[in-house]
Amino acid sequence: MSDTAISENAHDTAHDHDAHDHPQEKQYWVIFAILAVLTAVEVAWSYLGLTGPALVLPLIVMMLAKFFLVAGVFMHLYFDLKMLNGKYFTWAFAGAVVLAVIVYLVVFATFHFRFAYFG
Amino acid sequence: MTDVTVDQVVDHHDDHGGGHASSLGLSNMKLAFWLFLGSECLLFGALISSYLLSKTRFITEIIAGNPNVVSTMPAELIQEFQEKGSVEPMFDIPFTSLSSFVLLMSSLSMVLAHSAIVKGDQRNTRLWLGTTAMLGSIFIGGQIYEFTAFYREGLTFTNNLFGSAFFTLTGFHGIHVTGGIIMLLSLLFLSFQGKLNSSRAETVELVGLYWHFVDVVWVLIFTIVYLIP
Amino acid sequence: MAIIEGEPLALPSGTPDDRPNPLGVFARPHNATGFKDWLTTVDHKKIGIMYGAAAMFFLILGGVSALLIRIQLATPNNTFLSADAYNQVFTMHGTIMVFLVVMPIGAAFANFLMPLQVGARDVAFPRINAFSFWVFLFGGLMLNTSWFLGGGADGGWFNYAPNNGIAYSPSSGIDFWNIGLLIAGIGSLTGAINLITTVLNMRAPGMSFMKMPVFVWMTLVTQFLLLFAIPVLTVAQVLLMLDRQFDSNFFNVEQGADPLLWQHLFWIFGHPEVYLMILPAFGIVSEIIPTFSRKPIFGYPFMVFSGVAIGFMGWGVWAHHMFVSGLGPLSVSAFSVATMFIAVPTGVKILNWLATMWGGKLTLNTAMLFSIGLVTQFTIGGLSGVSHAIAPSDTQQTDTYYIVAHFHYVLFGGALFGFVAGMYFWWPKAFGYKLGEKLGKWNFWGMVIGFNLTFGPMHILGLQGMPRRMQTYDDAMGLNLWNFVASVGSFILGVATLLVLVNAYLSSRKWKAAGRPDVGPDPWDGRTIEWSIQSPAPNHNFDVDPVVTSLDDFWHRKYAEDESGKIRRVATGAQLAQPGNGEGVHLPASSYWPIVLAASFPIIGYGIMFTLWLTIPGGLLLVLGLYGWSLEPADDLDLPHDHDDHADLAGVGASHD
Repeated sequence: MSDTAISENAHDTAHDHDAHDHPQEKQYWVIFAILAVLTAVEVAWSYLGLTGPALVLPLIVMMLAKFFLVAGVFMHLYFDLKMLNGKYFTWAFAGAVVLAVIVYLVVFATFHFRFAYFG
Repeated sequence: MTDVTVDQVVDHHDDHGGGHASSLGLSNMKLAFWLFLGSECLLFGALISSYLLSKTRFITEIIAGNPNVVSTMPAELIQEFQEKGSVEPMFDIPFTSLSSFVLLMSSLSMVLAHSAIVKGDQRNTRLWLGTTAMLGSIFIGGQIYEFTAFYREGLTFTNNLFGSAFFTLTGFHGIHVTGGIIMLLSLLFLSFQGKLNSSRAETVELVGLYWHFVDVVWVLIFTIVYLIP
Repeated sequence: MAIIEGEPLALPSGTPDDRPNPLGVFARPHNATGFKDWLTTVDHKKIGIMYGAAAMFFLILGGVSALLIRIQLATPNNTFLSADAYNQVFTMHGTIMVFLVVMPIGAAFANFLMPLQVGARDVAFPRINAFSFWVFLFGGLMLNTSWFLGGGADGGWFNYAPNNGIAYSPSSGIDFWNIGLLIAGIGSLTGAINLITTVLNMRAPGMSFMKMPVFVWMTLVTQFLLLFAIPVLTVAQVLLMLDRQFDSNFFNVEQGADPLLWQHLFWIFGHPEVYLMILPAFGIVSEIIPTFSRKPIFGYPFMVFSGVAIGFMGWGVWAHHMFVSGLGPLSVSAFSVATMFIAVPTGVKILNWLATMWGGKLTLNTAMLFSIGLVTQFTIGGLSGVSHAIAPSDTQQTDTYYIVAHFHYVLFGGALFGFVAGMYFWWPKAFGYKLGEKLGKWNFWGMVIGFNLTFGPMHILGLQGMPRRMQTYDDAMGLNLWNFVASVGSFILGVATLLVLVNAYLSSRKWKAAGRPDVGPDPWDGRTIEWSIQSPAPNHNFDVDPVVTSLDDFWHRKYAEDESGKIRRVATGAQLAQPGNGEGVHLPASSYWPIVLAASFPIIGYGIMFTLWLTIPGGLLLVLGLYGWSLEPADDLDLPHDHDDHADLAGVGASHD
């Protein structure tokens, strides 16, 4: 499908973009290897018998790393966000992630402060 | 579409789902799909929050020895919960790690399917689509195994807060994976009918987006539910 | 310039399907007329009109339940309704008005108007648009079948846990509420995706974001709110369904469950919900006030960004509905401050409307009067709203009639007045004739008097301490007078509201008797591009894509400065308007699948409630619908498209008449 015949309003490069800007297969394998290693480290970390923040914080960091790798590379979010020529629609998704995190963290905060106050 | 007049191209130029004058220069379908996934974030966020809250309430009641709650599960299990102060004894981490890994692998095979169809490589498209569907099915199989194991150990959907919340959260995710498998199999079927050529790469990409999203949700669930109990 | 829906998954792009009707049933109806046309249409204008008609039907149901409430409360110790019946009536009144009246009227305007204002032929996914409507309608009807199947829901429109559990509400009313709204929610979600895609991706050439009409902006914000709010309600309702139907324990206090989970989930949805009910009305009056003040909207960017700001801040204030639920002082203070802040962008809007009217040549016709009614009454409602933002004050007011007065001032005096204004304004574009002005004035003044008589006294009743949701009050409480006044007012209001429909009927009859005179493309000297096409809007909307060069584009084409710098009319709307010639335009064809797919949901819903066996035929219909939908050719690829075949294309176009 060629867009060349479409006149003034087709200011777009959506189709060739797929071909050039996305990572090569090799990069996918590399990302996958990183994900696999992260998962292994996560599981190992949970067996160290740590408690409290020492257990939770590294796990959260690794979880977020995995999240961003999958969303950023496999879902092309990183590439789409970087290309501002009409690709900013993915902000709708990125915005939803941020919104969800903030809203639900506030819910937990209200529960936390309620218990802190009322016991 | 090379031998048509300009008028016809204008008539048809949205065959990619691009709408009549794609103001953002991308297909409507893709935009809509991202919006849908954005909406799903709030859905899973609410489910995960409900799970965390319910589990915390459950453990608090167990530690306080609330007879209504303590009586819902076998005494040994309750004792373990009380000793640990968490629901960790319920989980089989090595097994779940393995099935998480399977789902991660399926994300890789999904991107490979997409890059194969972009290149017009039919054989590899089928191979990787099939692999993805198979890995997804293994994951679902693992989940069914886990659920039955939990039932045998005495955790059911109805007996207490923890059971309800756990089965609802993982069950919702499982339903999403199953939906993805059905989509993948439909694509595979189309491919064998010869209807999935490289002009339909976007369809594969969209199913891929969904699949990765479901995978990403599992990344969160795996850490939040299993590793930080 | 066809609108081809995003290709269904199963249909390779551009490949003509060798089996135009793969499942052998429900082939695309060509040239459908009458009833069949309405059932299968994918035209955004018809769907918008159907949303409006459905909302009017539900408005009557909700209105009757409101009058039942007022009859019961007209005198002390009244026994007109039992306590149980009263619970059902006020719960269903709130539910119907919020979910089945105000939301769908907003959807009606968004559907009918937004594609016209952005210069599109249709929405991005016409079949999904039809599906959204049918699923909403079936969900709403299912909700209302509860009246005949064991009674309506009785826990208030927000159905707090644990009151919503089987133990406290054993009738199936709450199940109908729950599952009916879950189904309607599917429609809202698909509608939101569809409309956002349309606004973002299908604007006419030249229409950049800052040249979009304010109504389009408000639609965009509203649909984003829906997109993100509906799933939260869905989760809350699914958890409730699992509790009630499948014995789970999410809200089971005996098992240590925290009932605040429901409140949080409900209000995380519920507060964006109140903004998504009012913002479409804000958009409507932002179109009407400039037109009848003969001035551009004052501070367009402020208007846009205050709407967007309301959209964002609407997510950060939900717990102000929960000030007395024991959140603890820190949360209460934080949400209290956030709530005060959200009054700022709302105030900006009020100021901008006033400044638009200031110094303008006002035409006080019915549409304008209703708009001014919104500005005035919404301000009163907004001010009483700020008084709830102050937590100590809210502690006194919560669950009293003061709250009832507040939200009726914003929702009825605000949103509904705006919607009626919109009906008077765009009626000629939808149907080809104006609504009568004389009856319109009666309509307006009747509604203003009735409305303020009904809800004004409720402020006093609330401050006197009359609790809401109580079925009666004692003679000695000193509440008799204002309750009686409110009840009298409610009947005036009811009659006056019905005048909208009476006016529509009489005006239509008069118009037909006069031989259907042409109202002209631009009866109000309008500002936006929907007035540049014929009235009623032709099936294909625009003959050629309008090219937009400025905000209020159509107005700038009609008026220009002369040498002395004075603004002069250079053309009339009728001269500039497109003639409505649909030659060569290829429209998406009608389809049965949206209604078939939508019909499967209530069947599954009844199955979940009464006997799981029913979910099997429902599920089969769902699968059939999904596959039929995706295998159906997205458009009539078999129809010829080039210019030699106008006759055929005209035939397709005519099917929409």
